Amino acid sequence: MVEFIDVTKKYPNGTLALSKVNIKINKGDFVFIVGQSGSGKTTFIKLLLKEEDPTEGSIFVNGYEISSMKRKDIPYLRRSLGVVFQDFRLLPDKSVYDNVAFAMRITEALPKEIRRQVPMALGLVGLSRKADALPGQLSGGEQQRIALARAIVNNPSLLIADEPTGNLDPDTSWDIMKLLIEINHRGTTVIIATHEKSIVDSLKKRVIAIDKGIIVRDQQKGTYENEDKNCKIYT
Amino acid sequence: MKIRTVKFILKDGVKNIYRNKLMSLASISIIVASLTTFGIFYLMIINFNHNVMGLREQPEMQVFCNPELDDVGVKLVENALVQNSNIKQVTIVTKEQAFEKVKHLLGDNVDVLEGMDNSFLPVSFIIKLNEPETSQELLVHLQDINGVDKVTYPQKTVEFISRFTRGIQVISTLLTAILLIVSVFIITNTIKLTVFARRKEISIMKYIGATNWFIRWPFIIEGVIIGIIGSIVGFLISGYGYNELEVRFTKELLLSGTSIITMLKLNEVGLLIFLLYLVLGCTVGAFGSMISIRKYLKV
Repeated sequence: MVEFIDVTKKYPNGTLALSKVNIKINKGDFVFIVGQSGSGKTTFIKLLLKEEDPTEGSIFVNGYEISSMKRKDIPYLRRSLGVVFQDFRLLPDKSVYDNVAFAMRITEALPKEIRRQVPMALGLVGLSRKADALPGQLSGGEQQRIALARAIVNNPSLLIADEPTGNLDPDTSWDIMKLLIEINHRGTTVIIATHEKSIVDSLKKRVIAIDKGIIVRDQQKGTYENEDKNCKIYT
Repeated sequence: MKIRTVKFILKDGVKNIYRNKLMSLASISIIVASLTTFGIFYLMIINFNHNVMGLREQPEMQVFCNPELDDVGVKLVENALVQNSNIKQVTIVTKEQAFEKVKHLLGDNVDVLEGMDNSFLPVSFIIKLNEPETSQELLVHLQDINGVDKVTYPQKTVEFISRFTRGIQVISTLLTAILLIVSVFIITNTIKLTVFARRKEISIMKYIGATNWFIRWPFIIEGVIIGIIGSIVGFLISGYGYNELEVRFTKELLLSGTSIITMLKLNEVGLLIFLLYLVLGCTVGAFGSMISIRKYLKV
């Protein structure tokens, strides 16, 4: 599903964001990427979306080797992924319905399909009744749920969330997490970069910890901080 | 691209114009100003060309007698002309004929002649030459004949206007080119402002997998529609202005009794001007949009 082989990313200003990273994430996995700000989490996500290219190594996403992918093929890679950001990134002038439908329109989906899929996605996140509202009229939690609906409306096999609960209060954060788990149960691989210690600790999912660009821990049923001495620890 | 996508993109482009009313208005005004200025030069050129062509088809001299000259004097002038070996044909234009011609040219404004008779008009002779090359000597010779007031020879005017037109053409081509470049520049910057306001939107579209063309098209449509509106408004302004000018100019010329220079009627040049405006307006609009958006597509 996702594989990083000896991936190093060095920015032009000399910052070493990731160093010799090897990760394998299988289909159906639910993975937390944890680490402090500046640890390399965001670079990891950017590489997955091909917003940045690795300096060395290869990255496989959904069977494509994306580090050598041509620019014009990037949109097709991104369509096969669902993405959720900390700041929601909704189109402010389009209604909730149109925001979700937009992800399908760019794939030139049939109107019939759009009319079927969009209400289904909105139903899953529990916002069917807000379809005509504009994003600005909704709360942060609701906006993030719309972003989730948009991310899953094309039935991606991989969902990437970069600090999805970073702007939300604890209760709302839990709602979003529950939705992500629900999406994972339907068979979608989910990768979440996060700071939320309480959520990571109580869910006991796979945790990959990054520190200063290096994978320091990869733990099944892990926690935010290292408590289990038997886990796989990199040095 | 599928029909439904084209529909969606068209709708988005039209919506964008409405959403960015102020910026759209600014872009339209700039296109109108540039096109109108271009139109003024262009109309000048085609009118000059039109006159030069008209004059070339008419290689004749017209010899005007003094208006006070009596019939005997006129006869003497006519004899002198007929006897000249360089002259092929002589046609007399009597005072009555001249008066009729003026009346005819005045059309609806014939009342200005009320209370006047034909005595203020001179008798004239239209002559055709055997050898146009000797026209210069003949002109001097004819002016010396007793009772001749003036001799008009369009060839001189033709040469003058030809030189003048060439000058105007060079200057106006340069000015038009500069103007169009400046318009593209200003429009690009105007559209850049709207693109800048929507750069976040563009990056969102890129993140969820929209192709560059999918993002670009609504902006291009927006530019083209702005171009079309600009060219229609520009055409209405310059068409109206030109028509007013043409009507007045023609009237003035008729009153002064000259008909050597004429202006083309609006219906003769209107379609050409409109099409030119449309092509230029749309090109500038679309081009401006494409340049403005380029930078924000690199996500």
